Amino acid sequence: MSVILKLDQVAYSYYSDTGEVSVMDNMDFTIEKGSFTAIVGPSGCGKSTILSLIAGLLSPTAGFITLYSDDFAAPKIGYMLQHDHLLEWRDIYHNVILGLEIQHKLTPQYLTFANELLEKYNLAHTKNLLPSELSGGMRQRIALIRTLTLKPDLLLLDEPFSALDYQTRLLVSKDVHHIIKSENKTALLVTHDISEAIAMADNILLLSKSPCHVKQCIPIEFEKHGITRDKVRDSKLFQDYFDLIWRELQNENTET
Amino acid sequence: MKIPKPKIKGAEHYSEGQLNYLQRKKLYQFGITWGRILFLFSFLLLWQIAADKEWIDAFFFSSPIDITRLFVDKLLNLELLHHIGITLMESGISFLLIILLSLITASCFWYFPSVGKMFEPFLILLNSLPKSALAPLIIVWMGTGYPTIILCGISVGLFGCILNLYQTFQQTDPERLKLITTLGGNKFQAFTKVVFPGSLPAFISISKVNIGLALVGVIIGEFLAGKQGLGYLIIYGSQVYQLNLVILSILILCAIAVLLYGIMNIIEKRLKC
Repeated sequence: MSVILKLDQVAYSYYSDTGEVSVMDNMDFTIEKGSFTAIVGPSGCGKSTILSLIAGLLSPTAGFITLYSDDFAAPKIGYMLQHDHLLEWRDIYHNVILGLEIQHKLTPQYLTFANELLEKYNLAHTKNLLPSELSGGMRQRIALIRTLTLKPDLLLLDEPFSALDYQTRLLVSKDVHHIIKSENKTALLVTHDISEAIAMADNILLLSKSPCHVKQCIPIEFEKHGITRDKVRDSKLFQDYFDLIWRELQNENTET
Repeated sequence: MKIPKPKIKGAEHYSEGQLNYLQRKKLYQFGITWGRILFLFSFLLLWQIAADKEWIDAFFFSSPIDITRLFVDKLLNLELLHHIGITLMESGISFLLIILLSLITASCFWYFPSVGKMFEPFLILLNSLPKSALAPLIIVWMGTGYPTIILCGISVGLFGCILNLYQTFQQTDPERLKLITTLGGNKFQAFTKVVFPGSLPAFISISKVNIGLALVGVIIGEFLAGKQGLGYLIIYGSQVYQLNLVILSILILCAIAVLLYGIMNIIEKRLKC
């Protein structure tokens, strides 16, 4: 498998009147094409900052972030935020094509692709509805489709389910995982929910406390043990992974 | 006394409880509407009787019948329509200019935040000034005529309008701006796709306030520099002790204010659909 993203000794700090705060230091990791990686760490350790750095919303104070692509075009990044931010004055269809509109890509090919995505994931009937008429879970799936219409090479998911209630979160995270896998996308998920990370990811990057760096990389191998993704939450292995990560996070909190 | 139950359309489709609820609601509405009409009517009646019985001096306080008679006279020789037209035209232009200038300025301030930050205290200063104090100065600079009156109209609302609009633009959820950035949009697109459409409800209510302020400004302008218009009629009427004319003009102003507010409400409803 080829590497799509590489972080090399990345550091980031922000400055205020009272002084410098180092958010991350010596951040090193690579993401392989087609993989689903989750980043888990103590709260407030700067998990979301990593995504902002990769997306280019912030620039690192040191180190390199490299994105690789198969052709010569710059790899495209899709970003999914905590809230769906569907614009309430646009109907669902026009929310979905917002990205195309912004990038002047309202070509028949892209529009057909957007329609296909909606059809494929049973959301076509919502096209003419307003966001306020949809449930939270539906809205978050629409937000994912909005990102996917731009055919991103790498998807960044910034706690995309944290605004949903528990039950919806389980359902939507399953759906989103399914959509991402069947579209063959590479994804990087930031979450504070350990079980969500285990249920969705192929690899989990465990971060240290702030200034953070990757403490451990835990491969999640349900497939090896013949457990399918929609049943993982019931398995013994799931509990084992959970305990392992929980322990590591506890250690991290008590170390200093 | 038994209150008769109001008829409800399609009563047979509702349950008894629902029908009861609808009837009570209709009765309440009925009471409010007729209460208002009754109040207005008895006020006019009392005024008329007081004038007839000389409880009040009709020379100073006029009477509904005198005012109506004057209204019909003035309406027939088109003089009144001319003055109403002038005032409406001046307030309309003032309003449109307030909105246009505020939109341009507030957008620039949002686009260049440091410019906005720099000018904000000056705007706050101008906004807290009693704007009618500017009118004499404007007259000296620009003489009497439409431009002066329109400028008076603008000066009352403009600074507050810019400030309100700028603050509304600034209150856009930063996460939404982030969304546009992550979708590959620039700042201009952030404005057209998110900031302005998101501010539309506030923009409408700001407009509603400013159409009233434009009217206030225009009347001040006409008081001081007008040769026609309702403001001029009020001043003229008071100087020649034609108080019928003054009260009539004030009543027409009331009607205009209500009319303009109503138009804005209709526009608001249209935009919501």
